[in-house]
Parts: sequence; structure tokens; C-alpha cells
Amino acid sequence: MAGHRGPGGARKPEREMEDFQLEQMEQETEEMLRVRYLDDKNAKFERTGTGFLSLRIGEEFYPRVLVVRMFPFSDKNEFISIRTAEERSKEIGIVEKLANVSRETVEMLEEQLTLRYFTPIIQKINKIKDEYGFAYWNVVTDHGECNFTIRMGGNSVIHLSETRILIMDIDENRFEIPDVSQLTVAERRKLDLFL
Amino acid sequence: MKSAYKKLPPEVEGFLKDKKIDRQDLLYTAETDLDSEGRFADGYLVLTRNLLGVIQAPVTEGKVHFFRGSDITKGGKVLTDVEEEQSFEDLDYGDRQEWKAEFIPLDVLERLWIENCVGCNLLVGKWEEQEHCLLMFTHLQKRVVAKLVRAVEQMKRGEEPDFAQEGEEYCPKCGRMYPDRERKVCPNCMDKRNVLFRVFGYFKPYKLQFVFMMVAVICTSLLNLVWPYLNGDILYDKVLAKDTTFLDSLGLQQDSFVTVLLFLVLAMAGTKLIMLVFSILQGVLTAQMVVGVVRDLKKSVFRKMGLLSISFYRSRQTGSLMTRVLSDAERITGFFVDGAPFILIHGLTMLATIVVMFAMNPVMALIMLVMLPVLFALNRYLRPRIWVMFGRRHRAERSLNSLINDNLTGSRVVKSFGQEKKEIGRFSGYSGRLRDAEVAISRQQNYFQLAYNGARELAVMGVWALGVYFIMNATGQEMNLGSLITFVGYVGQLQGPMNFFARVPNWWADSMNSAQRIFEVIDAVPEVQEAAKPKPLKNPKGDIVLDNITFGYEINRPVLKDVSLHIPAGSMVGIVGRSGAGKTTLVNLISRMYDVQEGEIRIDDIPIKELAFHDLRKNVAMVSQETFIFMGTVAENISYANQDASLKEIMRAAKLAGAHEFIMRMPDGYDTRIGASGRELSGGERQRISIARAILANPKILILDEATASVDTETERVIQKALNYLVQGRTTISIAHRLSTLRDADYLVVIDHGEVTERGTHAQLQALKGTYYKLSELQTKALQLKGEMDF
Repeated sequence: MAGHRGPGGARKPEREMEDFQLEQMEQETEEMLRVRYLDDKNAKFERTGTGFLSLRIGEEFYPRVLVVRMFPFSDKNEFISIRTAEERSKEIGIVEKLANVSRETVEMLEEQLTLRYFTPIIQKINKIKDEYGFAYWNVVTDHGECNFTIRMGGNSVIHLSETRILIMDIDENRFEIPDVSQLTVAERRKLDLFL
Repeated sequence: MKSAYKKLPPEVEGFLKDKKIDRQDLLYTAETDLDSEGRFADGYLVLTRNLLGVIQAPVTEGKVHFFRGSDITKGGKVLTDVEEEQSFEDLDYGDRQEWKAEFIPLDVLERLWIENCVGCNLLVGKWEEQEHCLLMFTHLQKRVVAKLVRAVEQMKRGEEPDFAQEGEEYCPKCGRMYPDRERKVCPNCMDKRNVLFRVFGYFKPYKLQFVFMMVAVICTSLLNLVWPYLNGDILYDKVLAKDTTFLDSLGLQQDSFVTVLLFLVLAMAGTKLIMLVFSILQGVLTAQMVVGVVRDLKKSVFRKMGLLSISFYRSRQTGSLMTRVLSDAERITGFFVDGAPFILIHGLTMLATIVVMFAMNPVMALIMLVMLPVLFALNRYLRPRIWVMFGRRHRAERSLNSLINDNLTGSRVVKSFGQEKKEIGRFSGYSGRLRDAEVAISRQQNYFQLAYNGARELAVMGVWALGVYFIMNATGQEMNLGSLITFVGYVGQLQGPMNFFARVPNWWADSMNSAQRIFEVIDAVPEVQEAAKPKPLKNPKGDIVLDNITFGYEINRPVLKDVSLHIPAGSMVGIVGRSGAGKTTLVNLISRMYDVQEGEIRIDDIPIKELAFHDLRKNVAMVSQETFIFMGTVAENISYANQDASLKEIMRAAKLAGAHEFIMRMPDGYDTRIGASGRELSGGERQRISIARAILANPKILILDEATASVDTETERVIQKALNYLVQGRTTISIAHRLSTLRDADYLVVIDHGEVTERGTHAQLQALKGTYYKLSELQTKALQLKGEMDF
């Protein structure tokens, strides 16, 4: 109906020449809709020696791939998206379960995941001081003792579930309390400000 | 150039020496905090004119990590300037077995960038066709590393690297972080006295009320002192004990105790009555002042808000500041009315009471004085726990409210998916949380009451016991029942002031902070300012020139780079480009929502910076995708920019905008109330009203920013027709995604990444086979496809 509104018909011959462009676009769309699962049989990951991973799937070769979790909180070991390492990265395929690929592959993927995700786990809360719109935390994490600052009143403390808490400091560094009920009464009392 | 040398660990120095890098060669150093296995380990980035060094230390066990702002004594500074320059030879380079170092020549390095990950970042370098993972670091160091990356980019472009100092974000006095980096006000160190006097200024119009209130308050506290005396000493020791000397002093007969008792009762009742009157008076005056001062404060804030530039509203921090300002005004006045006057009153009452108590019986007064700090401490340190609980209840309430809100607004979705049961379950979960919070509050309050009352009763009991002991055994301490009751009365008198003073410090700090925030808005200087002697712009032709303009919302991140354009009077120019290319920014600059950083914009050869705001805005009107409908009638909305328009003119404008028909279908025609709380309008209707608004404003320069983006094709055609009328005789700048919208443009400009990449007529751009050609091809194909499907 709106077809006639396009710029005049003088360029019709050129249009045919450029038909591949549309095809290419349609192909891209198709690719976007496709789900491809990767396993040891169809995909070969390799360390690049420069800290990253390369991936070969049959004819396709990707010199560097990104390894990204689809459900970082629900299940961090399932549904790992393997993506191209561009600014607007595209999905190459999905590793459905880390348990289903070889140990070697798991190791390589996990190395890459370590690079992408850094969230110290809080094991002990020493002190939380709230002053002038900031809360100053002093905690012991699985990476050692940490001091960080969060903004009060915002969304710095996120409840992932009834007992699981994610804390975001003013620079968006992340800290996690996997289970609040595992903390001592005194520690939970310090958390009262946010529960 | 000054060397950017900072003190580095000896091991790093060792690596530098191995590489024959002198301290003077260092342009920049940055410290990082993770190793490639995601453990805390120090890393160092060093930059010279031709090398980038990446040095990684082994994991140090037991190191305490400080993220931004968390170490208030350290002020968050990572590296300190070296005090004395030791030569390399004097240093012990330590054991570098477990250290790693890599030096990359800058001419080999193709590109260096930061990859943003979750909770961390990667520094990635590309050389020899390979991407190398150089370092991992938390967001704490992102800024310092980003500076290095930028410097490398600058050097690669052959420019002199600049390591612009960032604004200080810590208070130099106490090392606390500024809550808002742009504000640079330390809540701990700010001059609260100054703020205080400014707030007092707002009470000036209420001088009389204030004086009366003070009088009422002082009288109340004086009467408070009298009451225990009447109630104790006089009643028990003088009247009930039948003290004849007392009657003598009043000049009454020996047996008229009943009369005295009657008088006493009357006096006591009178005292209470007067106290009541005073407290009512005080309440009325307070109400008057609070309302007035709050209104005045809000008014000055709102007035200022109108004057401030768009950039003020852009920063999120200030956005939240705005919403807070309203409650802030109330908080300040609350303190000044319920707090400030009472500092004096309660102080006086307390002092007088203590003096009287000592005069009556120093030993018992001493007991009381010992208890005072205990009670004070309980109040000061236990009470905040209750506030924490209140906060928790507030949060629980909020989530419950939003759940209800979700369910009411989204009831169709809930029903259509049959999720009522689940929602009920969620509701009971949330309300359970609210119940828990309530229970916790009661429990905490009970604990507090128990501790506090216990401590207080203990003191009172001590006083009673001692008093009774003094009465029973004549120990030389003068004490009888009446004085004891008076004394205990005074003890009770101390409670109020004590509770009050326990609260005051926080209250004071809070309200001064609120005041500071308000004054900040009031004092804010608009970024875009009118020239001191603005030039008028009468009957302009509408010729626009953009002369090499550069602009960015943040310094060093230009959104528009060196853009030059000439838009002749009366012509229509279409601007095309991807979203985020800088199209809207460009038109915002023409109406001077922001000032350009470099270059100049001229209308009729007058730089817009020299034009009067009124003239500029009167002659430049914008119809944008975000239509805004104000609270009011249709007619008021159309005549928003031209209040004097006659009804006929309003009707004509609406007709030309294609809005007349739908307006007439509404029950009250042009007088139908629309906007918030009024009748809902569709996107196309809103759009047409805003076009009518622009027609009536009759500007010489018209900016159409995606004016038809959110409406269907049919409505678009109507609007397009309206626009075609609108653009006649005006200079028009039109931004559109749909190229068909721009088919009437005299020429087109393609903007990509802030630069003008293509310009010319439709035919010229087609021939160029660039971005425009691609866009137009894709859109024609898409339309064709649609046409085929319709068929």
C-alpha cells in the first residue's frame, strides 16, 4: 500500500544489481533466529596463547570468541553463549551444559568465564557503617578482606531470592551473599538496613 | 613536560631498569588489582613515549582491599608522589621470580581497548593480528586505565597525550567522598552555620509569629518549673502539713487551710490551663509558619528550575535531587520549627531544673546527674535501631504497594494467563514480610522501652529510697514528703529535654544537609546564559549557519565533530542517520538548549550566543517525537506558545494541523480537558496538537524531530499534509528515520558518528551510493515487501 511512496522508479536497473544486499540481510535475520548447540563433536575450542579462546566449527573459524552466561544467577553452568568478539557481538552457538563437554573444554571455558565475571562472595560481615547517604562495608570475602562503599537508598542491594543478595558498590563492582540465613544473628542485624 | 612519576614498588623499578627506562621517561603509571585468574594481585601499567609496560605481581595473601570511597582516611588515593628520588642503584629490586612483565612497543601495538565485563574489565591489546589479554582489573581502576588508553590513542594519532586531572571527589578536610562528585559538598565539613543563617532568612516575613511563638514556649517552660513546686512542696509540706508560717506569709488566718487548699487547686488548675493555651497558641503559630516557609522555599526552587539549562536535568544525580528538594523543604522547616526554638527552651528548662534540684538536695541531685548520661546514651544509640526497623517496614510496604499496583494495572495479563493464584501467593509473601517488619518494630520498641524505662525507674527509685531515708532519719539533710514529691517531679521534668537532645545532632545534620541541597538548586548557575546585552532578532529571514561546531555532553567525548552546515532561509533540510548519530543533539544546539564547545551557530549572521533568549525561542519552534500535553484544555494546549491567540486563530491552527476533526468529536470540543487526569489522547492526536501548537507559535525556523515517527501510515499522511503547510515560508530542519518523510527536502545531510558524511539532493546522494543509498534501498525493499504482502 505504501509502496508508491518510495523514491521514483528511475533507478530500477540498479536495484537488481544490489539484490544481494537484501539477501544478505535476510540471511542475517535467519541466523539470528537459529539456535545452534555446540559440543565436543561439532566444535573445537583452542587457547590462543594470548589469553583468549578460538573456535572452529567445521569450515567456520573464529580467532577469538566471548564466553557469556545466559543465566548467571539461575544456573551459571548451563546455557553458555559463545559469541563473536566484536563490539556488537553475535551468537555463534550455545554450550547447553558444561557437564556435557569434555573436561578440557570445561577448563578452557571456565578460564574465559573467570575473565568475564568477578564477584567476590561475602563470607563474613565485620562492619557496616551508614553515614551521609553512603554505607561503608567491611567484609571478608573468598578473595580476602574487602572494604567498599555503596550508595544508600538506590538499588545497590539486589535481592536475587529470599536469601540471596547481590551488592553493587558505587563503581558497580559486585559482591554476593549466597545465603543470608548462613550469617550469624549479629551479621544479619547489620544487614537490617537493607533487608 | 612534567614527569608523571609515582612511587612504584622496587620490583617494578627493576623491570624498568632492565628495559633501560628512566623515571623521567614515564608519562603515566596506573595500578591495577586482579590477575588473569580473577584473584586480587597488584598490576602496574607504565607508559613511556614508545613503550607500554604491563607488570603483574604475584597474589599477596592477606591484603585488605579498599574500593572507591571505602577508606575515608586514605581519601581513596591509590598512588602517592615520591618524596625523595632515590637513584635506581640504591634500590633492592626484590625477588622477581613470580612476577610477570611484558613491554609492548607502541609502534607495534595496533589498538588498545578496555572490555567491560561483569564486575571487572579486561585491557586488551591488538598487535600482529592477534588480540592479547593484557590485564584484568575491577571497576575501581577503570578510570585510571581509561586515561592510559586514551593517551595511547592520542599518541598513535600523533597528538600530545593529555592526562587531564579529574575533579577531586574526596573532601580534602576529612577524606570523605562527596555524595555527588559535581557538587563537591562534604556533608561532614560543610559550613552549617552559614546555611543556618540563610534558612533564617526565610523566616523573616514571619518575625511577629516567631516572637510570639518564642514567648509561648518560654512561658510554658517556666510554668513547667512551677508545677512540681505547687504539686509537691506547697500541697504536701505547706497545706496538708498545716504549716502555719505559710499562712502567715500569705497574710491569712490560722484556720483557713480549706480556703488555701481551694486556692491552691485553683492555682494548679489555672497553671495547667495557661499551659494548654500556650501550647495551642504555639501549635497555631507553628502551622502558619511552616506552611509559609515551605511554600516560599519551594517557590524559589521552582523559579530557579525554570531558568536552568537542560544539562542540569540531564545528570541523574540532579534529577533525584529535584524530587528530594520537595521533601527537603519540609524537613528543614520541621527542624526550624520543632527543633531550633526548643534547643533554647529545653536547654533552659534542663539547666533550671538541675539548679533547682541541687538547691533542694545536692546528694539526690548528684544521683540523678549520674543517671543522665546513661539515659542519654541509651537514647542516642539504641533508638537508631528502631529507625532501621522503620526503614525495613517502609521497604516492605513499598514492595507490597508495587505488587498491588502491578496487579491492578496488569490485571488483563494476570487474568489472561490465569495467574491469579500465583499472584495471591506472591501477595501473601510480601504481606508476610510486612508483618514481620511490624513485629520486629514492636519488639525493638519494647526492648528499648524496657531498657530505657528500667534505667529511668532505677534512678527514680534511687531518688525515692534516698529521699525516704533522709526523711526517716534526720541526717541533717533537710527533706520532707512534699519536697521529695517536688524533687521527683523535677526528675520527670528532665525526660523531655533529654529525649530531645539525644535526637538533635542527627536532626540538625539532616536538616542542614537538606537545606544545602535546596540552596544548591537555588544557587545553580545556568550553563547556557543569555548575553549581557542581547541583540534582538526582529523579523528574521531564517538563514542558519553552523560553523565548524563541536559538542559533547561530556568533555573529550564529542557527539558532534566539526560540523558545518548552511541552511538558507526558507529551505527545508532533511537530516538522516542512525540512532545515536547526533541528529537530535544538532537541533538542540540550534535552539540553544546547550552551548557548542567549539565553533559557532549563526542565525541571519548573528551568533546565537548574542541573541536574546526570548527572540531566539520565539523564532525557533520544535515539534518532536516526545509530544507533551500539559494539564488543561485543548485550546490552552494549542495556544501554549501564544497566549494572546484568538479562538479563531486556535481553530485555524488546529484545522491546518488536521486536528480539528478529532477535537470536535470530543464531548467538550476545544474546551475538553486533556493531559494528566484529563482525557487520554492517542499518539497521533497528541502529535497533531503539538503541530497545531507550532503553527500557532508561527516561528521562522521550524525543527521537526521525528515528528511522525510514532504514528501509523495513515495518520502520518495527515500529519505530513499538515507539515507541508507548516513549512511554507519557513526554514525547516527535519529529522526522520523514514526517508519518505523527507522527500520534499531541498537537500539532505547524512550524519554518522557525529560527522557529516554525505550531503546533497536526493538524486545526488543516490548516485553517491553511500550510507543514504543503502538506507533508502533497504526501506524501499521493505516497503515493496510489504506491498506484495498486502496484495
